[in-house]
Amino acid sequence: MINPVLLKEIKVKMRSWKAAGIIGGYLFILAAVALFITYANTNDMYASTINPQFSIGAYTGIAVIQFILILFIAPALTSGAIAGEREKQTLDLLLCTKLAPRSIVIGKLLASMSHILILIVASIPMFSIVFLYGGISVLEIAQLFGFYIVTAIMAGSVGIFFSTYVKRTIAATVLTYALGIFMCFGTIFVAVFYVRIFYNFDYQNYFPLFYINPLAGFSSLLTAQFGGQYGGILNMIPGLYMVNPYNYKGTAPWLINTYVNIGISVVMLFLASMKINPIRKGPLSFLRRNKKAA
Amino acid sequence: MLEIKNLNKRYGRFYAVKDLNLTIPEGEIFGFVGPNGAGKSTTMKIICGLLTATSGEVFIDGVDALNHSSKVKDKIGYMPDFFGVYDDLKVDEYLDFYASVYKIKESNKKQIISDLLELVDLSHKKDAYVDNLSRGMKQRLCLARSLIHNPKILVLDEPASGLDPRARVEMKAILRNLKDMGKTILISSHILSELAEMCTSIGIIDNGKIVISGTVSEIMQQIYSKKLIKIKVNDKLDEAVMVLKEFPFIDKITTGENIIQAGFDGGDEDMSRVLSTLVSRAIPVATFAQLDGNLEDVFMKVTKGGEEQ
Repeated sequence: MINPVLLKEIKVKMRSWKAAGIIGGYLFILAAVALFITYANTNDMYASTINPQFSIGAYTGIAVIQFILILFIAPALTSGAIAGEREKQTLDLLLCTKLAPRSIVIGKLLASMSHILILIVASIPMFSIVFLYGGISVLEIAQLFGFYIVTAIMAGSVGIFFSTYVKRTIAATVLTYALGIFMCFGTIFVAVFYVRIFYNFDYQNYFPLFYINPLAGFSSLLTAQFGGQYGGILNMIPGLYMVNPYNYKGTAPWLINTYVNIGISVVMLFLASMKINPIRKGPLSFLRRNKKAA
Repeated sequence: MLEIKNLNKRYGRFYAVKDLNLTIPEGEIFGFVGPNGAGKSTTMKIICGLLTATSGEVFIDGVDALNHSSKVKDKIGYMPDFFGVYDDLKVDEYLDFYASVYKIKESNKKQIISDLLELVDLSHKKDAYVDNLSRGMKQRLCLARSLIHNPKILVLDEPASGLDPRARVEMKAILRNLKDMGKTILISSHILSELAEMCTSIGIIDNGKIVISGTVSEIMQQIYSKKLIKIKVNDKLDEAVMVLKEFPFIDKITTGENIIQAGFDGGDEDMSRVLSTLVSRAIPVATFAQLDGNLEDVFMKVTKGGEEQ
């Protein structure tokens, strides 16, 4: 049986003009980027020849914009999910039913993810422009979309987590974006300071904190897909190397990022489910009961 | 059906509910009355599994509701004092959603929703958006929602609050229907007279404790040792008072404009004797009635002036 919260959310969300507006605006931005890249490349002096650089440029451009949009949209969709129910005074009505708290949390997350999935699927035709020029395989696009979805679930789970722990939607949204900013940029500052102080910029590894950094993971994915010819964005920071594909022997960092993202999502959703359960018993509750009985 | 034993809910040093004991047999409507902050909503939330109790026991249909909350959730229908509705959902979709939550079979849903809408007189609003309903209609819809899984017990937290007189009458009529259907109902209000006429028994709660409980007449007897009679005469008010003073079981006579009110400590025969004596002395009696007492006085008396916490 499909989660009733998911079904209801999809019905309600897709009915409003807001949903159409988000999809329309999202596709407009992506289409504008794709058109700009195409225009820029067809107007250069080598436009008459097939230029693989164009395919890479278009792919990178659309992929980066899409990734940034997902990072912005996913928390916005989930950070008000539970706090909004509380504000609307509908949460108690759900909690007194037979629906388990985890079903409510997962239903809310899946509803938001279905929205993101629609955006991702709707953007597929934009990527077809890349195939006109070759150089990017379907497998690589599948990897990219897989990374999008896992990252969106992680960002969404963080939103759900704050939505249960904070009473107001606005506060939950602010905290979600604050944590997101720390994960994306704060970790870079920490890494730079750490490498500067302890290694004097002679650090040739993937900094461990980057495993929670979606930008680092994404950058690593693109780096790996391009075989090292087009380095990760973070490689531009002195002393920080995403990964050198010619020397690196271990699991690709973006894959580890993916596993870490899945782990973060599971922990966040578990904590959120615990939090909204009104009659949850703490881990030490059995001790208290034994003490009372004695 | 519902049994509460020594229930306590404490927030720091403050007891929201203290040593509360209550038994509601099957098919009864129990009115839970108390001033704001007395502990009514807290008790109801504990019963419905929305709050943990500090100590005590709650049994619903013999099942320990505090330790096996999930086992009793399908036995309870809860209507909170404040409730929200989802934007962009129609009335039947709203009920359909809760029917799905309670895992009601698709084949039965349509009939159940139709029956419930008829019960709460909202069939004509089936396709209306919930957000556009009046407050009274929303209250009735919320009542229908609490009945969607056919619970044995209904916990209704101030279901008539904020309603206009007409909507209150409609709500009362629905509750009487539910009583006839055999539902056990725990209903709260801070207005005693609102509940008195429809409840089989009443409990007055103050500062987290039940201060008095029983049927309305039992409560009145506990509070007032004597009954009250009210006589309206068209003329000869002073003469009527003199006649009443002849009876030893009548005291505390007060008069108004053609109205006499007095304490009465006799039986039915004494009552008819008083009336026949008044008539035989040619006093033009317009009305002669025994009063149930002033319910609001009872409320104020047992709740220490109805002070809010």
